[in-house]
Amino acid sequence: MIKAVVDNLKGLWSLVVGLSVTGRFFLSPQKTVHFPRDVVGPEILESFRGPLELVPADDQGGSKCISCQMCARACPGDCITVVKGDAGKAPKEYKYDFTLCCLCAACVESCPAGAIRFSHRVYMVARSREELRLDLLADLRERCGLEPAPAPAPADKTKAVA
Amino acid sequence: MDLSIANFAQIIIACLLVIALMVGNAVVMVYVERKACGFIQRRPGPYEVGPRGILQAVCDSMKLLGKQIYVPGNIDWILYFLAPVLAFFPVLLLYLPIPFGRHLTAMNVDEGILLILAFSGLGVVSNILAGWASNNKYGILGAARAVSQAVAYEIPMIMALLAIVFLTGSLSLTEIVERQGSWPWQWNIVVQPLAFFIYLVSLVGETNRAPFDLPEAESELTAGFHTEYSGMGFALFFLSEYANMLLVSFVCAAFFLGGYKGPFMDGFWWMFIKAYAVMVFIVWIRWTFPRVRFDQLLNINWRWLLPLSILNLWVTAVIVRFI
Repeated sequence: MIKAVVDNLKGLWSLVVGLSVTGRFFLSPQKTVHFPRDVVGPEILESFRGPLELVPADDQGGSKCISCQMCARACPGDCITVVKGDAGKAPKEYKYDFTLCCLCAACVESCPAGAIRFSHRVYMVARSREELRLDLLADLRERCGLEPAPAPAPADKTKAVA
Repeated sequence: MDLSIANFAQIIIACLLVIALMVGNAVVMVYVERKACGFIQRRPGPYEVGPRGILQAVCDSMKLLGKQIYVPGNIDWILYFLAPVLAFFPVLLLYLPIPFGRHLTAMNVDEGILLILAFSGLGVVSNILAGWASNNKYGILGAARAVSQAVAYEIPMIMALLAIVFLTGSLSLTEIVERQGSWPWQWNIVVQPLAFFIYLVSLVGETNRAPFDLPEAESELTAGFHTEYSGMGFALFFLSEYANMLLVSFVCAAFFLGGYKGPFMDGFWWMFIKAYAVMVFIVWIRWTFPRVRFDQLLNINWRWLLPLSILNLWVTAVIVRFI
């Protein structure tokens, strides 16, 4: 009997504690960002998984990729197509279909050369499926400033929105 | 009270003012509720419609007005359309004995609180009818819950109010307010803290608000008794929910918080300030506590509130009789 009363008094006190927590939250500043007027900082995007991108090996648009096909094999959604180049190990073509990608990171983890990673493009907009079928080599060259953006350029749109 | 033309006109005017108050209250409370919810969850709440989202509630009500009234098949037509009306109109009557000032009462009856308690039961009837008539399993479950919840929570609520009635010796709300002083330490809450607490808990249960919103628990019963109502049918339920909230807050203010009396200057503004403080507290509770399970809800009532309220009433009676 006494235990029940004490337990219930403790329970009541926990309700007061709960009220004080929400009351404090009510008065403290907000955590959300009003998107069109304000954007989140890059440090928050550190852990954001956007579409894949190639890691630049140098500033000449070269990648670390050795065309070993490990990423294409590891991918559960078959969204990566790598074509080996004629000379050397560098790929001739690296196509990535973002519509099929589930952002599982199997490719990133399986890559022996550490050549791919997730980008932090959070404000990406596409108006058709074609725009989401990315050419990562072109994207890499574009990021190095070697090539103007091709016609369906998701990277360009990203910048425009951000 | 004689039924002269003047009295009749007074009641008509009061009813119109009460309707205006109910609608205005619903619009304000929708905004307050959503803003408070947002702030508690550390987001801005409605922000885009009008400056700081002020017009959000107006847009919501326009949306409800413009919506198609979708009627499910195999319903009980009379009861289905009677239920929202029955939820809305008794509330008009309930506001009549509320004293907003010494003489600012629509109908100053001696049995004011009796009138309120008796006719507030009609709200539950409308919930039951709505759940039953809409031929929906969620509706029926919500209605069944509404019955047992209302039966359970009316008793400690009445017991808590009775303790004040014992102290005052009157059922008239004006008389009860007149017996209290202007300053907080002269209010009934100081003499009857336990009754105030019991009333506060059963008030949340009585108005079907979270954490006691079992009859319309969204996550379990989609919307409970008003699942099948759309457009204005739903709007009437919605309106009457907020009107009931405001009513119990007014009663709470009159019984425990000194009603229209307050520091420096008595007047209806104190009544509104106190009632809306209680309303904000109800909203605050809603966004703090999770919904209780149904057996927990009834356990709180039958095992704690009811014995406590009987004990409180008994002690009050003894004190009033012998001291």
